[in-house]
Amino acid sequence: MAEQALAYSLPVDTRTVRLKWMVAALVALAAIAVLPEVLSNYWLRTFISATALAIGSLSVSLLFAQLGMVSLAQYGLLGVGGWFALRISHGFGVPFELALLTGGIVAAAFGLVVGLPALRMRGLYLAIITLMMAGAIQVLISAFGFPDGGAGFLGKSTAARIMMARPHLAPTDEAYFRYAMVVLALCYGVVFLHVRGRPGRAWAMIRRSEVCALAGGVHIVAYKVWAFTLSGFLAGIAGGLLAGGVGQLDGSAFPASQSILLFALTIVGGAYSWMGPIIAGLMLRAFPALLNDFHVDGNIATIVFGAGLLHSLMTAPQGMAGQIQDVAAALRKRFAGKSGAGR
Amino acid sequence: MIEIQGLTVMFGGVRGLNALTATLPERVTGLVGPNGAGKTTLINVLSGFVRPTKGTVTIDGEDLDGIALHRRCAFGIRRTFQNEQVVENLTAAGNVTAVIDNVPTDGRPKRELVEAALGFVGMASKANVMGADLNAYERRLVEIARATVGRPRLVMMDEPGAGLSQEESKHLRSVITSIHDYCGAQVLLVDHDVDLISANCGATLVLDFGSQIAYGPTAVVLIDPRVRAAYLGIVEEEA
Repeated sequence: MAEQALAYSLPVDTRTVRLKWMVAALVALAAIAVLPEVLSNYWLRTFISATALAIGSLSVSLLFAQLGMVSLAQYGLLGVGGWFALRISHGFGVPFELALLTGGIVAAAFGLVVGLPALRMRGLYLAIITLMMAGAIQVLISAFGFPDGGAGFLGKSTAARIMMARPHLAPTDEAYFRYAMVVLALCYGVVFLHVRGRPGRAWAMIRRSEVCALAGGVHIVAYKVWAFTLSGFLAGIAGGLLAGGVGQLDGSAFPASQSILLFALTIVGGAYSWMGPIIAGLMLRAFPALLNDFHVDGNIATIVFGAGLLHSLMTAPQGMAGQIQDVAAALRKRFAGKSGAGR
Repeated sequence: MIEIQGLTVMFGGVRGLNALTATLPERVTGLVGPNGAGKTTLINVLSGFVRPTKGTVTIDGEDLDGIALHRRCAFGIRRTFQNEQVVENLTAAGNVTAVIDNVPTDGRPKRELVEAALGFVGMASKANVMGADLNAYERRLVEIARATVGRPRLVMMDEPGAGLSQEESKHLRSVITSIHDYCGAQVLLVDHDVDLISANCGATLVLDFGSQIAYGPTAVVLIDPRVRAAYLGIVEEEA
């Protein structure tokens, strides 16, 4: 009987997998081509922010889905990335790409520091420590504000605020939205390569249990630190992209509570699925904007998010992404059943 | 060859191992003893999870003290767990690849080594099945594949036979017996199943209260009166 069970095999259909990827790539290309053309200026700006925040949410989901770690400092790291991107851009007039990368790299260094307690702590304690770091970043940002073209290290101008220079490739809102979507796709690519490769396997072992990882020879410290660094990098890129979209950042817009909201919505969106961060980004920016469009107070969104979080904690651990996939699977089954009956 | 010299492990005031000295040269060595005798503690010391209070362990002449925790797998010390530790969100092949990522491959492609290890335990056809979808026995086999992939020196198995059906036990026995021929590793087998121990192990080390009470050819050791008193005595008392 055991032999029989062992002989059973489950072949993976590489053709359907490849087809899936081609469809996903086509949908993404179509979105990049069509979306900016059909949106009004207001919605363009909203979607630019939503795209940037999708990257921020991706940084949360990377830690949560791969390592089971809760970091409540990611929105703060977004602010750090934004600050340094603005500083470099205003101070040296470097191309946007360089400013964006600098923001990402500095935020990665901050992310590394945020991750150091994770070497000894997990769960609630880690969450609280990272939240305190988000609080520290909040204090610094609200005390010094964001650089806006002034002199000195802090770069605060007393006269009119200067907008951050956009990339040469994408000076208009339409083009910048496309640019942001390409950056989002690149970030997904980086995460995907990690998850599918050696780091992803090491993270999976660590998430299973630390004894399992140790017995498998995984260098736990290195891989945890790398996860936090990468996650900080993504958050920094998100911050720089946000700064480029708006042209400036508001010192009061990076409270620690935003980090909690970003984490909560990543869970609601579905941290384990690639769709989750995009859903989270849309909920963070597009949903309140939609309410405003309907002349409803956008702050009501927070209530809806709370209800959504309760709902996903109780009934949908895979978040909205999981529910969408379930519906898609059910529909596929139904259509497959019909076409089968027709034959 | 494992050489253990005066190994003592203290858990607070409790002695997990008490000045244990033993030399284990056999290909497959059994490790038996009543609950709390220190079997798992010994395995944990070899894996590096537990720091010995005193004493040394050398494997093939190398002192384990000088080998960092995360390097022990690459050095060749591998193990399976009493509670299986298969990663559920990796495939069977992914589970094995996660180990070969961290150990020397001798220039051979990882894929080939992973396929060989899965083939060795009879899981080749399930290479692409997720860990979550494997049954309890298949998970145990994946753990053995993880422990034998690459170039292990010592494979330690903590109660691999617990809770298996007769068919599965038979298959497991054949796998354990062939580990040395397959990869050249020495095997240390902890189990309460005396049949499994006597079928596989050339020699057996018996522990009680953290010390060696007997060591020798399995058949001789298992009829030793001291072993019967320590290990089987409980059964006789109950009966």
